[in-house]
Amino acid sequence: MKSIYKFLAFTLLAVFTSCSSDDDATAGLMGENKVTLEFDNSVGSDDLLLATAGYTNSQNETLTITRLNYIVSNFSLTNDAGEVFTYDKEESYFVTSEETGSTEVVLEHIPAGTYVSVTFGIGVDQEKYLQGAEGQGDFLTIAEETNMMWSWQAGYKFLNYEGTFTSETVTEPTDFKVHMGSHGSSLDNYKEVTLSLGTDALVSDEMSPIIHIVADANDILDGENKLALTEQSVIMVSEEKSPKVALNTASMFTVDHVHNGTGDSH
Amino acid sequence: MKYLFWVLVSVFLVSCHEDDAYVAVKNTFLTVDVPENFPALVYDIEANPPTQLGFELGKKLFYDGKLSSSGFISCGFCHEQSSAFTHHGHQFSHGVNDLEGTRNTPTIANMAFFTEFAWDGATSHLDLFPIIPITNEVEMGETMTGVINKLIADAEYQKEFEMAFEEGGVNAENFLKAIAQFMVMMISSDSKYDKYVRNEAGGELTETEAMGLGVFQQKCASCHATDLFTDGSFRNNGLPPNPQLNDMGRAEVSGSDSDNYKFKVPSLRNVSLTAPYMHDGRFGSLESVLNFYTNGMVASETLDDSLRTKDGLGIALNDEEKAGLLAFFEILTDDTFINDERFSEY
Repeated sequence: MKSIYKFLAFTLLAVFTSCSSDDDATAGLMGENKVTLEFDNSVGSDDLLLATAGYTNSQNETLTITRLNYIVSNFSLTNDAGEVFTYDKEESYFVTSEETGSTEVVLEHIPAGTYVSVTFGIGVDQEKYLQGAEGQGDFLTIAEETNMMWSWQAGYKFLNYEGTFTSETVTEPTDFKVHMGSHGSSLDNYKEVTLSLGTDALVSDEMSPIIHIVADANDILDGENKLALTEQSVIMVSEEKSPKVALNTASMFTVDHVHNGTGDSH
Repeated sequence: MKYLFWVLVSVFLVSCHEDDAYVAVKNTFLTVDVPENFPALVYDIEANPPTQLGFELGKKLFYDGKLSSSGFISCGFCHEQSSAFTHHGHQFSHGVNDLEGTRNTPTIANMAFFTEFAWDGATSHLDLFPIIPITNEVEMGETMTGVINKLIADAEYQKEFEMAFEEGGVNAENFLKAIAQFMVMMISSDSKYDKYVRNEAGGELTETEAMGLGVFQQKCASCHATDLFTDGSFRNNGLPPNPQLNDMGRAEVSGSDSDNYKFKVPSLRNVSLTAPYMHDGRFGSLESVLNFYTNGMVASETLDDSLRTKDGLGIALNDEEKAGLLAFFEILTDDTFINDERFSEY
């Protein structure tokens, strides 16, 4: 039965398209569909395996990562005509967590189009925070359950990155904790990034793309800004270091590839 | 300056279980009166307009020990009405399992007029403040998820949430909104001082009180500003840090060394009722507070500039001025507020 509907839909689509005098390729994309963003966490060129093997960064520190959770938010997609589709802000906050395996963000009801880039935030913006109870909705308890609530300041950890490390001078495996978020009203660590998709992501009633994003956890401490755990292994509220962690984290994302299709396979 | 919501859009229909008839439970909006001598409201009333049922639910939650892990420590345990919603006689807030915090319980009067909450401004939204004591392991030692689950399991609360809010029932958003509605209504503005300022009956000051007001305006009001008696800023007032606590204050939130030992300037409303004083409750009397300001201060990099003078640190006060200030503090007591049955536990 399903295939009949598909056939019918396709026929209708074809009829509709043939009636259109617009010969822009995008004009053939009708309706709406979901867009899936898969956040694939890695370290350097390798897959990220929690609490398994250590890896050594450029600062000669060997890290065994046990937790990598971060908040991604405020998604928007830009099409080939430069038009921006902004996802409903209220629905636009997600915790991705390597340990629970929830690393997919599914954006529903995206209008048909040929999308060339995606923009999103890392963390929670002040505007949402300052909406109080109304703005947080259920996201507060979601954050609490995923270790992303900084309960002592009733705020959010944008990034929760933990594990153990050794270095030349720290020879016994020692815990590290990197928790990054905004510092009350005094420091806003929310960042936004725009990633070019490389391959156009096509959305229509028939097409539901999967955008495969790689997050290189190495960048968090060993990106543009170098932060040595040997010097400070617990980085939380630090006016000097947390903005560096925020910048590094925002630059850890790249689009690896885009699957165009029905959205049910990689 | 009156926020009046006199029409409630929805009437809630509650099924009566005995006979399946419907009884209408009407919710009504409450009026938030901004006293004419106060600055403008900060709290966004339109985002969470207090209603009668929301307020009553907030009050019930405020006095319910269920919000703590032990089941015994409510918000009202440390915020006692008779002490203007502070923890009388306790230097630090007491929590579950006899644990003790490191800071003195601040008042929660007039919170709708503030932008930052807690001694260090850990949150900048009133709605979200209750998360801090609820989740603090030496205060209420719970989680938000834990509290919500306990409330969901309670049929009475379920009904009350349904009646107070149009949608959502028992959830974190409505939970925080209800407590905020209760706090937003807690306005203390009926002291003798207020009557004096507003030229109302009962506002005639004695000579000593008037002199004290003059001293206050000249020497204290740059920080304890407006009729809220605070400018809401974070300042280091020169208290010698307690080495056992070494509480860094605002710096714990901002992560900035320039904020070391800074705490929010507290309101002085009802100050005669809110002993002990300072963020760590080190002073048991207002006399001790004044003595500290005249000769107890220590210098440090972040000491507030207004407390450094060419004659030395602190505020110069003679005995007569101190007596005047103490008399002035008395007229900040608002008996209407501390006896207001709307806010009473029983």
